[in-house]
Amino acid sequence: MAGSQLKRLKASLKEQGIIGPQKSKKQKRQNAQDAKASTDKRVQRHEALASIREQFNPFQFKTSARGPKFEVTTNKPVTAKEAMGINGRPGITKAMGEERRRETLLVEMQQRNKVGGLIDRRFGENNPNMSLEDKMIERYTREQQRAHKKNSMFDLEDDDESKGGLTHMGRSLFDDDDNDVPMKDDFEGEELPSDEDDEDVRATQRALKRQRLEEVLDAAEELDEEQPQRKKTKKEIYEEIIAKSKLHKLERQEAKDEDTELRQELDKQLPELQRLLFSRNLPANKQDDKPQLLIAGKEKAAFDKDYDLEVKKLINDTRAAPTDRLKKEEEVAEEQANRLKELEEKRLKRMRGEPVSDDEDEEDEKKKKKKGGDDDEDFDMEDEDVNEFGLGEGIKYRPTATELGFDDEDDFLIDDDLVASGSELEFDSDDIEDGKESVEGESGSDQEEEDDDDDEFTKGLLTEAESKDSIFQMPTNTKGNDKDGIPFTFPCPQTYDEVVAVFKDIEVPKLPIAVQRIRALYHPKLGPQNKEKLGNFASALVRHLQYLGDRSEQSWLPALEAITRHIHSLAKSFPIEVAKSYRAVIQEMEQQRPLALTVGDLVTLTAVGTTFPTSDHFHQVVTPAMLVIARYLGQKIPQSLPDYATGTYLSILALQYQHFSKRYVPELMNFSLNTLCALSSTKPSSHLGFFPIHDPVPGIRLSKSSSSSEVSEIRKLTFQDCSQPSTPLTPSQSLSLKLSLLNTTLTLLKSASETWHKLSSFTETFSPALKVLQQLSFPSPLISPKISDLSTSLSRLLQIAKLSRRPLELHHHRPLQIKTYIPKFEDSFDPNKHYDPDRERAEMAKLKKEHKREKKGALRELRKDNAFMARENLRVKKIKDEAYHVWEKRTKAMIQGEAGQQANQYERERKARKNKR
Amino acid sequence: MSGATTKSGAAAVSKRKHQDNADQSKKRRKSGGAEADDASETINPKAQLEKLESEILESRKHFNNIVTLLELSRKESQDENSDLAATETLCRVFLQLLAMRNLVQKKDALEKEATVIRWLRERLADYRDVLLSMFQSDNLANSALMQAMALMKAESQYLDDRPEAVFPRYFFVDIVSAIITSPVEELREQFSEAFVDKYDDIRFYTFDSIAHFLRAKKQADQSVNTAFEMLIGIQDPPSSNDEIDKFYINPPSKKKHPLRSLSQHKKQAQEAWLALMHFGLTRDQKKKVLAVVSNSIAPWFTQPELLMDFLTDCYNSGGSISLLALSGVFYLIRERNLDYPEFYTKLYSLLDADLLHSKHRSRFFRLLETFLSSSHLPAVMVASFIKRLARLALNAPPSAIVMIVPWFYNLFKRHPLTTFMMHRVSRTPEEKELYETEGLVDPFLPNEQNPMETHAIDSCLWEIVQLQSHYHPNVATIAKIIGEQFTKQAYNTEDFLDHSYSSLFEAEMNKEVKKPPVVEFMIPKHIFTKADTVTGETDSLLVNLWDFGSS
Repeated sequence: MAGSQLKRLKASLKEQGIIGPQKSKKQKRQNAQDAKASTDKRVQRHEALASIREQFNPFQFKTSARGPKFEVTTNKPVTAKEAMGINGRPGITKAMGEERRRETLLVEMQQRNKVGGLIDRRFGENNPNMSLEDKMIERYTREQQRAHKKNSMFDLEDDDESKGGLTHMGRSLFDDDDNDVPMKDDFEGEELPSDEDDEDVRATQRALKRQRLEEVLDAAEELDEEQPQRKKTKKEIYEEIIAKSKLHKLERQEAKDEDTELRQELDKQLPELQRLLFSRNLPANKQDDKPQLLIAGKEKAAFDKDYDLEVKKLINDTRAAPTDRLKKEEEVAEEQANRLKELEEKRLKRMRGEPVSDDEDEEDEKKKKKKGGDDDEDFDMEDEDVNEFGLGEGIKYRPTATELGFDDEDDFLIDDDLVASGSELEFDSDDIEDGKESVEGESGSDQEEEDDDDDEFTKGLLTEAESKDSIFQMPTNTKGNDKDGIPFTFPCPQTYDEVVAVFKDIEVPKLPIAVQRIRALYHPKLGPQNKEKLGNFASALVRHLQYLGDRSEQSWLPALEAITRHIHSLAKSFPIEVAKSYRAVIQEMEQQRPLALTVGDLVTLTAVGTTFPTSDHFHQVVTPAMLVIARYLGQKIPQSLPDYATGTYLSILALQYQHFSKRYVPELMNFSLNTLCALSSTKPSSHLGFFPIHDPVPGIRLSKSSSSSEVSEIRKLTFQDCSQPSTPLTPSQSLSLKLSLLNTTLTLLKSASETWHKLSSFTETFSPALKVLQQLSFPSPLISPKISDLSTSLSRLLQIAKLSRRPLELHHHRPLQIKTYIPKFEDSFDPNKHYDPDRERAEMAKLKKEHKREKKGALRELRKDNAFMARENLRVKKIKDEAYHVWEKRTKAMIQGEAGQQANQYERERKARKNKR
Repeated sequence: MSGATTKSGAAAVSKRKHQDNADQSKKRRKSGGAEADDASETINPKAQLEKLESEILESRKHFNNIVTLLELSRKESQDENSDLAATETLCRVFLQLLAMRNLVQKKDALEKEATVIRWLRERLADYRDVLLSMFQSDNLANSALMQAMALMKAESQYLDDRPEAVFPRYFFVDIVSAIITSPVEELREQFSEAFVDKYDDIRFYTFDSIAHFLRAKKQADQSVNTAFEMLIGIQDPPSSNDEIDKFYINPPSKKKHPLRSLSQHKKQAQEAWLALMHFGLTRDQKKKVLAVVSNSIAPWFTQPELLMDFLTDCYNSGGSISLLALSGVFYLIRERNLDYPEFYTKLYSLLDADLLHSKHRSRFFRLLETFLSSSHLPAVMVASFIKRLARLALNAPPSAIVMIVPWFYNLFKRHPLTTFMMHRVSRTPEEKELYETEGLVDPFLPNEQNPMETHAIDSCLWEIVQLQSHYHPNVATIAKIIGEQFTKQAYNTEDFLDHSYSSLFEAEMNKEVKKPPVVEFMIPKHIFTKADTVTGETDSLLVNLWDFGSS
């Protein structure tokens, strides 16, 4: 809309109909007649004018010069104002502020320095919307109500008397809340405390309201009837909509009710259905039919109780489930194979040092637990498999459990030879029995009785599968000892000393039987403490193994083997106890005799190697054990042939430890090559390699002169060779020992070279060995074929190693990214927002900002207050001055008038006198 | 002394001596009979001693009591306590006499007077001899030493009429010689602890005395060894003249006195050491010397060059002595700008088979690290060192491998040319084909002496790759760092130097068993016994190679 301000004003005035073409006299008259319409019109006119004024006042709105900050799409029509983006209405806010001040500040100002005074609490006194009559009526009703309600002046219960309570400066002492609020006219707020409780008033009000509403509705209906074709107002449309939605709601409600009814009916039928479902599993439940029939006849309480019981039973019931399908042979086999595969994978993972994931571990543990508990069943099944697959022939596509040596302890009795070989040994059982009986004499009978009970108890407790199992089969005569002189019952030894005490009367080869009996007697299933007991027993047994090893004879070895296997199977149930015990034994070796290991130590280390997986990257028991072995091999400078034998045994053991993972043991090479150098008849003349050579003690070298005829055959080494002989060896004995040492070392080197042939530095590792073989002489016809054999195999492997060697390419890594320090960009950056990464600092900044804003606001308000007060004072002063001036003027005028009169009078008098004269 | 007694002084003395002896022997007999079970008996000799002492101090008449006391102390008796008491009394007597200046020779003294003084001085010498002879005894040596030192102090002040104390050098030489020849180990400890380490002047004269003692010796014997022990026990030299401020005997007031000069101290030490080395050192002694040469011995020398021959000889002798001598040689190179021709060649030759097994390994490596820390060394040579050590690592204990691999890493970082030893991509297809058909022979020449010509830089570190599958998990992990990205600036090699089998083992054992360890899931059927041939099982290596009595 172009044009000047004036033109625009005119146009808008015309638009609003305030100015227009002149009206005829008739029209004017008509208008004048219609008084009501005229007031309406006047109001309308007023409004229109106000809006026009507003529109044309450029200071009415605070707008941003650049227009609105954000574009907004709305369905509302966009006015010019909105398009401009109004930030505030200074005029209005100013007026509002002024008003508020007048209400509060002004009142305070006026009351300043004044004590007491009257507060007008009359109802409706300050309400301009009430006529005098209304006011009077209202006051009268209130008074009546109060009088009606209050019967006694001293009624303390009456709590609507708060207004009449103690006051100070016109305020109640007790209502703290209203302290800040300026006094209100009591009637203004509906929430008068005295009204609040006044039920009667409210009830009447509600009744009145309802009545009025009904009247209005009636009137509307009448109106509707009168003018059906009238265009509906918005209100009516809404009402219609509401009505419709209510109707829909009702319909939905009804539908829902129907549904619930149906459901309830179904629920009533449910118990019968359930009975049908579960009656198959629970024959006992058939009795329940009876109470069901008698429901009517029964007492309600009894019925309810029955019902609750029934529900409980149902809760505890196992859900109906299809029974496990009997697996086919292939499936069982596959499962088994899968399990083995999984275990193998885990082993490989551990070997690479990757962490086995936790849940897997848990699974593992679960499995272990399961094994601890149910292994008997498991293995029963496996046995069946074995039987079934044992018949089969052809290609074995999967290793059976027994072939893998996978059977658990249950296998021990099946392994008859352990027992049988034991019985071959003769010993005078009488002596032992006598001793035993004298020891057990007193406690014997009691114990045996107990054991009888125990036996019965066991029989009842064990499942069929378990009792069938050999391990739980108690020999029938539990009294006394068996034919080998081993008692059938033992106390479960808890400490090493107890183990020694218990086993001291038992021949070592028979020990496995005793161990087995203890394990059977204290099987964890048979008593709650047995688990702990067996754990202690297991760790004590580990120590005993070492003890036995130290005193071992060749004939004990099967027994030691059996004990080792017992420990192994115990370790499955008690891994921590056994591991700790092994670690303690190993620690003792390391601290007390790192370079003088005994046969018992060797046995223990062997047992460690079979009990725990030696291929693991790290293992709590194997790693220390390996360190002990390596230390002996690396640091021991052998002083005698037994030292060499011990070292050789440890070398074999080390190689066997690394058999699977093929890890390199430098000490093994050092020791073996050193042994060869020491046993050769000549001192190595030239540089053989980078392994340290210790000059042997005299008497170790093979003498050139010794005729090999003394020894016709090379024997294997035994544990006896590892311990210092009580009598010095005869030349022939020592020669044979040397030869067997040589032989073993050569074989060991061969298998080491086969184990490690894939290692990247095979050439450097084994070419010294070849050099040793070629340069040193071993004057024995028995050995030379071995040497040539090893030489050829070594040179072949070295050739292969040479062919397979490639330059190293270790660093095919992705190139490293250069670190960037470019600042991070925010996609939607808001300058008002703090992107402070420090949370506390950001919080602080926020608070500070708020504080500043508040302070500014408060200052502004104070300034405005001051201005207001100044203005008010000025106004008051002006009024005062005005009044004074008026008074002064009047007084002056009066005086002047009087003076004039007097002057006139005087003048007149003088004239008169003059005239007289 | 009055004339009455001096007239027949000697006779009187002898007479009284005789009497006293008789007395004493009587007492001896008594006390010998009842030993120590009667307290009154043991008090008696004490009372007698006290009496003698007070008499001597009372008047000159009783000076002859000194002889009695000397006799008493000299007596070979079972009861050493009485000897001790006698010597202690003597000590007190002489200290007092000295303090009273009774032994000062005055020029204007009368002849009689002079005779008495001479006589007293002779007795004092006697007393010294007694003390020194007591050094040989296990029980008495320590207190004898204290007495001797106290006496020496008194002598230095009061024996002459001079205003300033004079160090009684000859007496001290005797004391030190006696200490060296004494079989009592504690005596030497006591001496070095209470005097040599404490007082600068005592140390000074100890060096002097040892040199004196050694020069007097014709051939080496046990005492040379003890002298060596004493010398090696002496601490590091003070750093400046000002630090020399602790004196046992009142120090000379002159500023320029040799006792106050550090270089004079050093000179004495050097003299002593040279005198010792004149005899030649045994292997053990050499090791001991070399272990401390750069820290404790060479700083004592005013001319450390004098050690040059000794050190180079040791350095060339090979074995652990070479390793130890290295630090001394390095000291000379650093401090005295010693020009050692072909130092690195020599250093390279030290990397022999025993190096990584030696107990001086970490010591050597600290030095080696210093020598190879320069970034200006030729990469070819650094590569030789790396390759040689890698070779050695193939036969090394885990603690040594743990040590060298991080060091390799640092060298690789410093000499990027050597990284070809880890990563060498064949560029041409011909080259690749050659590898395919003929494989590869390590171009490294292990027996080449010159580290510049070993061709190590053309080789690769297969050895370390092999050690990545070392049996010890930590070693394997450490060996893997050469295959990973080189993101770390450097490893602190000091963290890896001091390991051993037992420390590794301890580290393992300190880990508590919390998680149940994995148990082998298969229980082997046979451990010691032979497998059944029927089931097709194979024997384990152990059973194959060892006779367990079954079969």
